[in-house]
Amino acid sequence: MPGLHKLRLPFVKADYTYKAKMIFQLVRSFHTSLSFRAAESSLLAKLRKKTGYTIANCKKALEMHNNDTDKAEAWLNDQAQAMGWAKATKLAGRKALQGLVAVKFDKNHGVLVELNCETDFVAKNEKFHKMVEDATSACYKFAHTNLQSKGAVTKMELDSEQLGNLSIDGKKLSEVLALFIGSVGENAVLRRAECWKANSNDVKISAYTHPAPSVASDYSAGKYGALLAYKQANDIEDRGRQLCQHIVGCSPLKIGDKDNDKPATNLDDEVCLIFQEYLLDPSYTVQEFLEENKMEVIDYIRFSCGESEETSLPGVEKQPLDTVQTLQ
Amino acid sequence: MTTMSFAKSLVNPALKVLLKQNNANLRVTGIPTLTPLSIILRRNYAEKQVFERTKPHCNVGTIGHVDHGKTTLTAAITRVLADRNLAQKKGYTDIDNAPEEKARGITINVAHVEYQTDKRHYGHTDCPGHADYIKNMITGTAQMDGAILVVAATDGVMPQTREHLLLAKQIGIQHIVVFINKVDAADQEMVELVEMEIRELMTEMGYDGDKIPVIKGSALCALDGKSPEIGADAITQLLDEVDSFIPTPVRELEKPFLLPVESVHSIPGRGTVVTGRLHRGCLKKGTDCEIVGHGKVMKTTVTGVEMFHKTLEEAQAGDQLGALVRSIKREQIKRGMVMAKPGTVKAHDNIEAAVYILSKEEGGRAKPFTSFIQLQMFSMTWDCATQVTIPQKEMVMPGEDATLQLRLLKPMVCETGQRFTLRLGDLTLGTGVITKINKDLTEEDRLKLLEGKKAREKAAAKK
Repeated sequence: MPGLHKLRLPFVKADYTYKAKMIFQLVRSFHTSLSFRAAESSLLAKLRKKTGYTIANCKKALEMHNNDTDKAEAWLNDQAQAMGWAKATKLAGRKALQGLVAVKFDKNHGVLVELNCETDFVAKNEKFHKMVEDATSACYKFAHTNLQSKGAVTKMELDSEQLGNLSIDGKKLSEVLALFIGSVGENAVLRRAECWKANSNDVKISAYTHPAPSVASDYSAGKYGALLAYKQANDIEDRGRQLCQHIVGCSPLKIGDKDNDKPATNLDDEVCLIFQEYLLDPSYTVQEFLEENKMEVIDYIRFSCGESEETSLPGVEKQPLDTVQTLQ
Repeated sequence: MTTMSFAKSLVNPALKVLLKQNNANLRVTGIPTLTPLSIILRRNYAEKQVFERTKPHCNVGTIGHVDHGKTTLTAAITRVLADRNLAQKKGYTDIDNAPEEKARGITINVAHVEYQTDKRHYGHTDCPGHADYIKNMITGTAQMDGAILVVAATDGVMPQTREHLLLAKQIGIQHIVVFINKVDAADQEMVELVEMEIRELMTEMGYDGDKIPVIKGSALCALDGKSPEIGADAITQLLDEVDSFIPTPVRELEKPFLLPVESVHSIPGRGTVVTGRLHRGCLKKGTDCEIVGHGKVMKTTVTGVEMFHKTLEEAQAGDQLGALVRSIKREQIKRGMVMAKPGTVKAHDNIEAAVYILSKEEGGRAKPFTSFIQLQMFSMTWDCATQVTIPQKEMVMPGEDATLQLRLLKPMVCETGQRFTLRLGDLTLGTGVITKINKDLTEEDRLKLLEGKKAREKAAAKK
């Protein structure tokens, strides 16, 4: 290539400058396209494509192992955890208020988990979705194995640290998170989780997230989520999901008591669940809806993504102690 | 010689007067350090600088990972252009922490920076999140004509780069210029690899990856004024590419004319006059036009254009005017119709739109809404009852953006890119922009719009 340059140059000088530019560009583009091919087949490109680690790290790995790809890859996988931790520590102070709220539930168990990240771009990425799903599965497993006590519903709140100590596929969630942070280069936080277990047969658990998946399933993730424990006779169409949607949408602060609480004067400011207008059919109040479907709400909790840093924790009124037994 | 002295005689008294005034000022304010000259300069400045429209305007924005140097690049651009007196230098901190802006009552985190090259004047947008870019598009504060994607050579394409490009697609950006940043911290091989990856990903996302300009440099070097070959020169090269690759948007003046009708008058002896603000294009006497809306289409000719009771040779976009139309009665035209160049507008009743629903703090409702809610849609000078359905979600929460299907009770003039607001009673629920025109409703569909919930449930049960 350099030879070509030398050959061309005298000719170029003699010609119009504009033409010279054209030829120069031609030579240059020829040159770059050649090196492209070189880059494509280079070890660095291969390693990067295979592992997905940052280019700088791939480069370092190759240099350290005299371009031995296998060793470099092993080293990268080895170092990933450490590098993830380093990145996570570096980014730890940055505000993370975007993210996802996920639920997973069956008839007797339910978990509500919140994970945060810095930008909503990352919240849309499939890697983040995978991370949330892993965390939710870990909590779900925890709800099945570790929640044992009497009473109608056993509830347990997990904070960031407790969540990090749960494990999935033999790996701690905090380690999985550090790997994730290393890969996207953005701060992320296992914010909080709520694990529920219904202990008697007539208590059911339902859950909902917004936006809801197009096909109803036992796992979903969105910006808002809610868990609901309720009683309903088995011969009536199950309305748990609809009521959960109402809770996500209208964010009541407490269930409310017909005898002690009074409905608000302005319907739009109503914070008691039972006095609110039912979201899916405003001609009913929630109270009327419950009566019609022979339902009884035992407890609920609602997460809105990013809210927990602004206020310490949502002011959901806890149920009296006789129906709820909390571990620890 | 005579002219010289004439000029002198003109200038001198004025100077004297000025100096006198300044002396008087001096005495009053009692600041002895100010020279008369500086005061003259200050007096000649208007309170605000006047914007001079000498170059075509174009809106661009930066997108990319938080740590890849979007803000540094923006700061570097202003620095490099400031050296050529084409921009005001902005520091990193001036641009970072995008201030909350209230555009059309919607809170957006956005930084707007202004600069110009030799060819064009630019508005530069930088937002922290996806939702902010969407709000920016919906409110139309600065519709981006193109974008600069920033990627660091040290990290390469990140998992979320895909999401950045998806966003660009979603808000309709067709022209992207790539800037590979931080080349000072990488070597040739790494930079080439990043370029290859970017081109590959862009092609995968539906852009022409092979033709997209990719510039390599270091925004930090440009900002610090170090190593110009990857610093200032790279920035200049980037701006050249932005100048040539991102086309100048068609200006409103060059489009076919459109006048939303505000009111109609009948002037005895002259005929019918429609008034309104010319939305776009130019309007001359004798132009053929079409009046569309409220289910009607009428063809006629403009026989006169007036502004402030004076005849106007040619009205331009933005003018508030009255147009005399031939052989149409006042009763035939109603507010909300649109007068436009024949064949350029059409009434539709089935549209798709990107809508932002106001949060309670922004004046919206606290509650979400579900499909089949009936809202009043306001656009241009018309308003119409609209049935809303939500194709992708079960409900829309306040403070969220969504794609909505809108079915109008009667066909109104709609086109893609047209903005509107949705209201419920006395509340503004949201604002949006039309993204797609769907096939018009059939008679049967239209009857269904008026059905209640019970009838819908019955029909669903029958199936």
